[in-house]
Amino acid sequence: MSALMLRSSVRCLVTVFDTFSASSRKVIAQAAAVSHQCYFRKTMHYQTEQRGHQNSPDYRLYFKTSDGKYISPFHDIPLIAETEPENDVPAKKSKKSESEVLYNMVVEVPRWSNAKMEIAIKEPLNPIKQDEKKGKLRYVANIFPHKGYIWNYGALPQTWEDPGQKDKETNCCGDNDPIDVCDIGTQVCSTGQVIQVKVLGILAMIDEGEMDWKVIAINAEDPDAKNLNNIEDVRKNRPGHLEATVEWFRKYKVPDGKPENKFGFNGEFKDKDFAVEIIKSTHEHWRALVQKQKNTGGIDCKNTLCCDSPWRCTTDEAREVVQSAPAFGSAHPVSPEGKLKKKKDLLIYF
Amino acid sequence: MSFSVEERGNPNSLSYRLFFKNAEGKYISPFHDIPMYADEGQNIFHMVVEVPRWTNAKMEIATKDLLNPIKQDVKKGKLRYVANVFPHKGYIWNYGAIPQTWEDPAHKDGDTGCCGDNDPIDVCEIGSKVCSRGEVIKVKVLGILAMIDEGETDWKVIAINVDDPEASEFNNIGDVRRLKPGYLEATVEWFRRYKVPDGKPENQFAFNEEFKDKDFAIEVIKSTHNFWKALISQKASAGELNCKNTCVSAGDSPFCCSADEATAAVGETCPCGKEDPVPSSGNISYNCYDSEVECSDVRFTRLFSFAVDKWFYYERK
Repeated sequence: MSALMLRSSVRCLVTVFDTFSASSRKVIAQAAAVSHQCYFRKTMHYQTEQRGHQNSPDYRLYFKTSDGKYISPFHDIPLIAETEPENDVPAKKSKKSESEVLYNMVVEVPRWSNAKMEIAIKEPLNPIKQDEKKGKLRYVANIFPHKGYIWNYGALPQTWEDPGQKDKETNCCGDNDPIDVCDIGTQVCSTGQVIQVKVLGILAMIDEGEMDWKVIAINAEDPDAKNLNNIEDVRKNRPGHLEATVEWFRKYKVPDGKPENKFGFNGEFKDKDFAVEIIKSTHEHWRALVQKQKNTGGIDCKNTLCCDSPWRCTTDEAREVVQSAPAFGSAHPVSPEGKLKKKKDLLIYF
Repeated sequence: MSFSVEERGNPNSLSYRLFFKNAEGKYISPFHDIPMYADEGQNIFHMVVEVPRWTNAKMEIATKDLLNPIKQDVKKGKLRYVANVFPHKGYIWNYGAIPQTWEDPAHKDGDTGCCGDNDPIDVCEIGSKVCSRGEVIKVKVLGILAMIDEGETDWKVIAINVDDPEASEFNNIGDVRRLKPGYLEATVEWFRRYKVPDGKPENQFAFNEEFKDKDFAIEVIKSTHNFWKALISQKASAGELNCKNTCVSAGDSPFCCSADEATAAVGETCPCGKEDPVPSSGNISYNCYDSEVECSDVRFTRLFSFAVDKWFYYERK
């Protein structure tokens, strides 16, 4: 089977993947008469709208299409980045192989920053907000020698690690979130930026007992992107980066008093093909989620573009959601996250 | 004793200057007019912060310009940004200089065998707080590294901000080794490699790359202070250095700078304007696989609080 791009109504775009074929993927465009639709652009352009105040619990970053219609970054952004149909002609897919598939990535945390920004899976239209723990805004520690996150970090839309599914290798259940991605490209992205990435590999992290895959990918616009096609290329071109990635994920919650994280496959990175299979299965779990009548896991499945979903809402309803959020205001200062840890806390880890 | 700064020109541009003023609002030179000692009895020194931790713009006291403002170093006509040498982001400490010190290029150092680099002595401040550019802080000296940068003696003092919450636990170089494992090693590696992305060779060190302790460091600082004293009293050749100052030299000295002259020097620069965008600096080489700079370095350092700035150190059991 092939990937189908369906347009069942003028403003509806649904990407449905039955299976990934090993051969080139065909994109079938059923073009409507309306020629100004964003479908004909090289990539979908998304915009964001800030509400509330940065560095405060009321901050929200909502997403919209370039024609101003609010969407969910979780449900309404296609997993696979559309490729370049132009002038009503479908892309010449025969020239592209599986390895050239690009995925959309929603950037949550820019490289080198600390604020733990996340897609709010339980809020309508799933804006990005800052995570809170114990009533305080969460900032990830600087794990020496690193500063904040060591890659642009985010999620693949239209994926979901189902807590009802147990992973065969690790025997752990999904963490109820979209699948996480680390973009190892050079450019520092912004929170809410949607970029197109090449998948290179995957790490099987077990975060506090839950399955928490980490896809390793690179921004397709990175000058190095053409040289990086699988995890082995990363190992050769970026010595130390994969090791640093494992160590970072192993330790990053320890300053908050949590234990070190564990990994499946002995902490080894699996290759691109394996990664694609995992992504595909989380995509299927997501599809089941949004098509189901009954809400699971507290997730808000409200969306504006998923035709088969009972949770689909109108653009007016979506606008109402955003307008009920606090008005955008100037950023708050970052408040110290409580007292610095005392020396004896540090000694625990020696 | 308190100091303030006055920005002139546009940040991230060739026109940018950071002038210094004392508590009375009088323009001063951060090279010559700020006392070396904050507390001589306690061996507490002043430090002028040039580069906040985790930033990349190579800011320096302009030793050849009147009033020695801080400005961004320029190489081959371009503003200089230091590369991010993996796994590090920019500078890994607050970096700057001790005022009233000078590494005399006419003097060959007995330990390194090299002549001085014609600059005040450099300091790496290892505390948690990310300081601001131009901030004048008080530091405890803990040790020193004998770097040889492109064939010139370039000592790197290791120190900690006296206001750091852990300052009382740091009294010598051994404390740094014990309480911040890996930091000294990272410091050597950083200095060894930081110019390689610019096409320069790796730097070298005296004493087998070992850090010398506090007493040794204080002796080195004192000797650079003596070189500076010779400089300011015209006993040593200034070369192209601008030794004008408003607080040290007597009225009859050619180095004495009047308030009017100081005001005129600042007035010749452009008023503070909008920040230019930081350019992306491009290429990658040798084990240092990127030299991307974070946009808006200045905003970046102001955003993060004390707790978030801190490094966490520990080793696996």
